[in-house]
Amino acid sequence: MEVIINKQLEKTLVEVKGRIDTTNAEQFQHDLMPLMEGGPKDIDIDCSGLEYTSSQGLRTFLMLQKSVNAKGGQMVLRHMNPMVKEVFDITGFSNIITIL
Amino acid sequence: MRLDMHSEMILEEYRSQLPVFERLQEVVLNQLRRCLDDHNILVSGLEARVKTEKSLTGKLELKGYKYRTLDDITDIVGARIITYYSDEVDLISALVEKQFHIDWENSVDKRKMLETDRFGYLSLHYVCRIPKELFFDPEMPELNQIRFELQMRSTLQHVWANMYHDMGYKSDVEIPVEYQRNMGRLAGMLELVDEQFSRIRREINDYRRNVQSLVASGNFNEVPLNGDTFRSYLELKPFHRLAEKIAAINQAELYEDSLMPYFKVFYLLGMKTIGDIERFRNEYSEGAYQLALLQLAGTGLDIVACSVALQNLCIVAILKQGFGEAGLLRLFGLVYGDSSYNEQRAQRVYEQAQKINLV
Repeated sequence: MEVIINKQLEKTLVEVKGRIDTTNAEQFQHDLMPLMEGGPKDIDIDCSGLEYTSSQGLRTFLMLQKSVNAKGGQMVLRHMNPMVKEVFDITGFSNIITIL
Repeated sequence: MRLDMHSEMILEEYRSQLPVFERLQEVVLNQLRRCLDDHNILVSGLEARVKTEKSLTGKLELKGYKYRTLDDITDIVGARIITYYSDEVDLISALVEKQFHIDWENSVDKRKMLETDRFGYLSLHYVCRIPKELFFDPEMPELNQIRFELQMRSTLQHVWANMYHDMGYKSDVEIPVEYQRNMGRLAGMLELVDEQFSRIRREINDYRRNVQSLVASGNFNEVPLNGDTFRSYLELKPFHRLAEKIAAINQAELYEDSLMPYFKVFYLLGMKTIGDIERFRNEYSEGAYQLALLQLAGTGLDIVACSVALQNLCIVAILKQGFGEAGLLRLFGLVYGDSSYNEQRAQRVYEQAQKINLV
């Protein structure tokens, strides 16, 4: 699993690659922690390289979304592959998180 | 025009006390803001000001003889609360009476001053002081002695007063009677509009209370489906039991999310009353659970949103009513908006539904 963060003036671009599972979910949360603490309000996450996410990954996305919303910003997930999208759909997370 | 010596002395006193007035203005504004917040009252405007030297000079030029000292001028510090509805003025005045010392002799209810056949300025003016129990600054004890004026009026009363002030007072030319009459006619019309707004609000509140009690008593067939009634219905957590059953598949945590986006779907399904939603829930719960079982069992996903229950109920209802894949596409479009994912999702869910004989 790899997280690449690129802070720009108006928004932060994030690229998530690989699998988020029990072995690295904590690392994933740790990698995104700086975004919950500060930086631009809006976050754009490119999920084209994301192969799978476990429940822990969903929780981290949810936590990040809450912190973004609290700052009045918006978080968007993009280019999700069908298998990952299915995880969001069957858990109802597609209702909570904006997926474009 | 030059001021006489008496007025000059009042003006000098004003200059020396200006820091106290400014502090009083700040205290008044803070206390009013806190009072309104504490009682959850939303107002259209809350403002305060200290009379400028120019404005005071003008007042003294016109009627300086009326005032013995600066203390006799009660509106050096002035505040104003502008309510949305005219009937809120009485409520706010009652709260103000509890907060501040009111100088009743100098307070005036201009709403009661007009003759029955006259229309014009309607506002409640209180002359007040800050009680020591509410606020006391040992370095500025005189602050509690100074009176200030508090005006309370509705938004429409405020609009009229501002227009009248702008057209009347600021001009050196006296306004001809016909224009004054037109302003009076407008005041009458706004008074009527103000009253209607208050009446409509009361009726809407009555309606909401009535609907809430019908929902609470379970008379669902009598409750028409709309945004308000649906929100009241959701307070009963009608889909919670199904959501818990779905969560139990993986011993998952249930995350409470909003179900309001599904309101639009019920229209698509032709529902007219809350009773229709109840029947829909009872009829399709088993199918919704079976679909969740197929999707979630063995995935190890141990968090689900409450909306999964309603999402699956809608999917099952659409398929059972014969709307097919196209119906699912419409459902996802309504809930998630136009998205490139909707088509593949509709296809996938349709295939899953076929496996458990939902279609």
